[in-house]
Amino acid sequence: MTAMARTWGRLTLAGKVIFTLLPILAILTIGLIAVVVLFGGAILDFLTTNLWLVRFVVAITAVLLMSIPTAFLIIYMEMKVIALMNLRIGPDRVGPFGSLLSVVHGLKVLMKEDFSPTGVDRIVFTLAPIVVFMATVMALLVIPFAPGLFGQDFNIGLLYFFAIGGMSVVGLLMAGWSSFNKYSLLGGLRSAAQVISYEIPLTLSVVGLLLLAGTMSLNQIALNQSGWFTSWYVFQQPLGALIFFIAATAEANRTPFDLTEADSEIVAGFATEYSGMRFGFFFFAEYVNVFVVSALIVTLFFGAWNAPFAWPWPVALNLDPGSLGIGLLILIAIVPVIATLLLAAPFWLASSRVKGWQALVMGFVLFNLLAGAAIVGIAYIGLDWVAGLFWFLGKTYVFVFTFVWMRGTLPRVRIDQLMGFAWKWLLPASLLNLFVTAAAIAVVAPR
Amino acid sequence: MDPALRRRLERRFGERLTGPIRQRHDETELRIGAGDSGEVIRALHDEPEFGFTFLADLAGVDTGTTMQVVYHFWGASTPDWLRLVVDGLPRDDPRVPSVTALWKGAEWMEREAYDMFGITFEGNRDLRRIYMPPDYQSFPLRKDFFLADDAARSPGAGVRHMEQTHAPRNATPAATIRRTRA
Amino acid sequence: MTTTTRGRKGHASADDPRVMLDEQIGVFEPIPPYPPRTEREAEFYTLRDGEMFINIGPQHPSTHGVLRIVLKIDGENVVDLDPVLGYLHRGVEKLCENADYHQAICYLDPLEYVSSLFCEWPGVMAFEKLLDVEVPRRAEYIRVLSSELNRVASHALFMGWMALDLGGLTPILWSFIERDEIVEMLASLTGQRMLFNYFRIGGVNGDLNHEFMSRLGEWMSRATTQIEANIGLLNENEIFVRRMRGLGTMDSETALRMCMSGPNLRATGVPFDLRRAHPYSVFPELEFDIPTRTEGDCLARYLVRLEEVKQSLKIIDQCLNNMPDGPIMAKLPRLLRPRPGRAYAGIEGPRGQYAAYVVSDGTDQPFRMRIHDPSYLHLQSVGLLMPGHLIADAMAVMASLDPIMGGVDK
Repeated sequence: MTAMARTWGRLTLAGKVIFTLLPILAILTIGLIAVVVLFGGAILDFLTTNLWLVRFVVAITAVLLMSIPTAFLIIYMEMKVIALMNLRIGPDRVGPFGSLLSVVHGLKVLMKEDFSPTGVDRIVFTLAPIVVFMATVMALLVIPFAPGLFGQDFNIGLLYFFAIGGMSVVGLLMAGWSSFNKYSLLGGLRSAAQVISYEIPLTLSVVGLLLLAGTMSLNQIALNQSGWFTSWYVFQQPLGALIFFIAATAEANRTPFDLTEADSEIVAGFATEYSGMRFGFFFFAEYVNVFVVSALIVTLFFGAWNAPFAWPWPVALNLDPGSLGIGLLILIAIVPVIATLLLAAPFWLASSRVKGWQALVMGFVLFNLLAGAAIVGIAYIGLDWVAGLFWFLGKTYVFVFTFVWMRGTLPRVRIDQLMGFAWKWLLPASLLNLFVTAAAIAVVAPR
Repeated sequence: MDPALRRRLERRFGERLTGPIRQRHDETELRIGAGDSGEVIRALHDEPEFGFTFLADLAGVDTGTTMQVVYHFWGASTPDWLRLVVDGLPRDDPRVPSVTALWKGAEWMEREAYDMFGITFEGNRDLRRIYMPPDYQSFPLRKDFFLADDAARSPGAGVRHMEQTHAPRNATPAATIRRTRA
Repeated sequence: MTTTTRGRKGHASADDPRVMLDEQIGVFEPIPPYPPRTEREAEFYTLRDGEMFINIGPQHPSTHGVLRIVLKIDGENVVDLDPVLGYLHRGVEKLCENADYHQAICYLDPLEYVSSLFCEWPGVMAFEKLLDVEVPRRAEYIRVLSSELNRVASHALFMGWMALDLGGLTPILWSFIERDEIVEMLASLTGQRMLFNYFRIGGVNGDLNHEFMSRLGEWMSRATTQIEANIGLLNENEIFVRRMRGLGTMDSETALRMCMSGPNLRATGVPFDLRRAHPYSVFPELEFDIPTRTEGDCLARYLVRLEEVKQSLKIIDQCLNNMPDGPIMAKLPRLLRPRPGRAYAGIEGPRGQYAAYVVSDGTDQPFRMRIHDPSYLHLQSVGLLMPGHLIADAMAVMASLDPIMGGVDK
């Protein structure tokens, strides 16, 4: 017994971790193999009959996993873009041009001490960031990234989105109340008031769009905007789009409506007492929210995954590499070699100082670039989801950039100006939009 | 140097002055006692022939023998600064009427004079310490202020050995205090 | 006397953790633990129904320095406020009493560190009055030139801070670019970027040199357009203007009663500028206007300072054109013993009237060096301007009054 204790004591931390995890992993693996062997057939049958379940699980996992790098990217973008607007340099040490900075931030936040101050309501304090994060990430379920690439196609997709978005208010209030702190209370109340006020113009501005589209399913709305960019709903609902954009900025707590994070007044608002991973959740949720809101603007008004133009002639790539048979293998073996030599030749001939191997390397790099471009082009033309994803993400990031741009340029409004703006200007404007749309539909194309 | 101003002041306040009116460069200096200061300042502020409506500065001075409160005014009627020295305040309990009724901005200047010298301004609604902590015992700018004495009375005394200070052997206030006829 | 953390009997040491247990855990109210000693304290620290205290503590992300403000709020409205000073009190006046006349100049710089030359100037002028020294004309022109540059730098920084307290992140960095250029210029003239220590009794420390003149020429050639661009960022922004207009309005009566001076006073409609009201140095020979506005709100204070920058450029231009030749410092003995007496000198700085009152007893150390700082009095007025506004405006109003805590706390 003491020999074991002595051996345990002599291990390093890594050793201790390995020695604890290995047996557990081994047992789990054996258990998994046993389950698969014994019940494999039954499981497979169940899954093939309920393919939608598989698809759902895969979709959710993918979306959740992709939200994290997205948040990292947006955080880095914000730091770098605002820095460049401020005529500073921004992050440029960690990774090329500082691009790994947000990864490092994420790791740092994970490694911080996890404490909660005296006097807080422990349960509520712990649950608040979870509620906020969940509310934000759940909204990613209905967003159509490309034809066929979406989590679920509810036919009340838009309603689901707004309902889930409203849940984040509960999280903010929980955070503000449970921190045993006047600043947090004020900040939480401020943000709750702000989010609730702007939800009404947000939802109302879209109702006109719903009348035009006839459906709440986001996938269907995206399909309705196919063809040239003139079919995008922003041209049919410009006022609605504008109101939606402004209200979405307020929903996402971005400048100029970012009172909740107003450093110069109430330190960090509802998140004053949060540190470490708990704060990381809030931080993440905010940036994922920015992405979600941009994605929604793009989906509803800017054509989702549709390109701004439509090919005037049908493009179909009937590639059938399998028909070449053995020729395919020969092609794969020979083409890179010949292409490298051909592309290296000009470099070698151009100057006598370029050595042979350098020219070959340049040729190889060029060949890779060209081949990569060709493959991407083929995927773009051949697989509609690649094209769709490309356009969707491009448009979404244009809007994310706009949010970041506004943060770098604009100051913030005061709470009374903010509330006044929502209730006195945006709400009547969205109602006006709705009435005009309804009247236009009734006159032009009554159903 | 404005001789007209000097004549006007001597004519108006002649009997209250405790010394001759001195003028040098662009300043004119009046000296009065604490009892007259309220009336004199009010007269300087209100009467149209003087019109010193801008209080430029309010300072306390410890001459070593007495305390003084020095006011500086600017008025559109003269190109000079007017300095009013309220002289002869006792060192134990200096009291002067406050000018906060005329200039609310003097409140903090008087607070500072109280904090640094212990001069009480009667009529100031907010005469508490402004720079030093509220429970501080001494008045720092006085000439008999002894820093070691002060440190020994602070709540941190005795915590670290460097805060145990010892007075110099021959230090008596009479020997070390600096004095002038100011 | 013991050296443990127990402290002396009757006094609890601040290190002793038991000190904190007297209060309820988690309740750190900014109410002082002793009964109120003055009328105003009693009035402030009694809460009516629905009111509460918020402490904007000495550490806060706003940029004015270490200032503690206790706000009494009713929901989002500020009912009253009480600034607590002293966190940056360095005892400058006492230090000057133990120093030479020359050494005292170094103590004056860090008072308003953003505009150091203006802090040195009244002290130096008061010493010159006591010594009956006449400053050569070239030195006076150089003093005016360098201090007007410092005024531009200070106002540029004010613009940045104003925007930062309203939430804009960009203008402060652009202000620092402006300020950096000017400060580098002054560094080539005085040797230091921030606490210049340039003025001497009887003149200035070093003459204009080639590097300074070339930098100045370059800067002047683009100064106007640059300033216009920076101004355009803020003036045309609807959010800035809406937040600043009508905020913290002060009328001229109140301003005069609060002994305000400088741009804060001129924004309320009183065209009082010491350079014209009580001219000193070579200002009678220079032509410039005094920008004045009548509204008295934050926007007016902001616009007055912008106008002053343009006037400063005019003055710098005239100084460069009319720079006389001659010595830059009067001949003085090394050991200075002024006549016993008193002297007062006041100048117009970027924040208002800076003044120094020096009492000399005939020795080589000042007997009493009193420094009058305008930010001290402006901070008093915050209590008058705030009621009726929201917490978010507290910082905006303070920023528009442009206090520098170094000067406030001396």
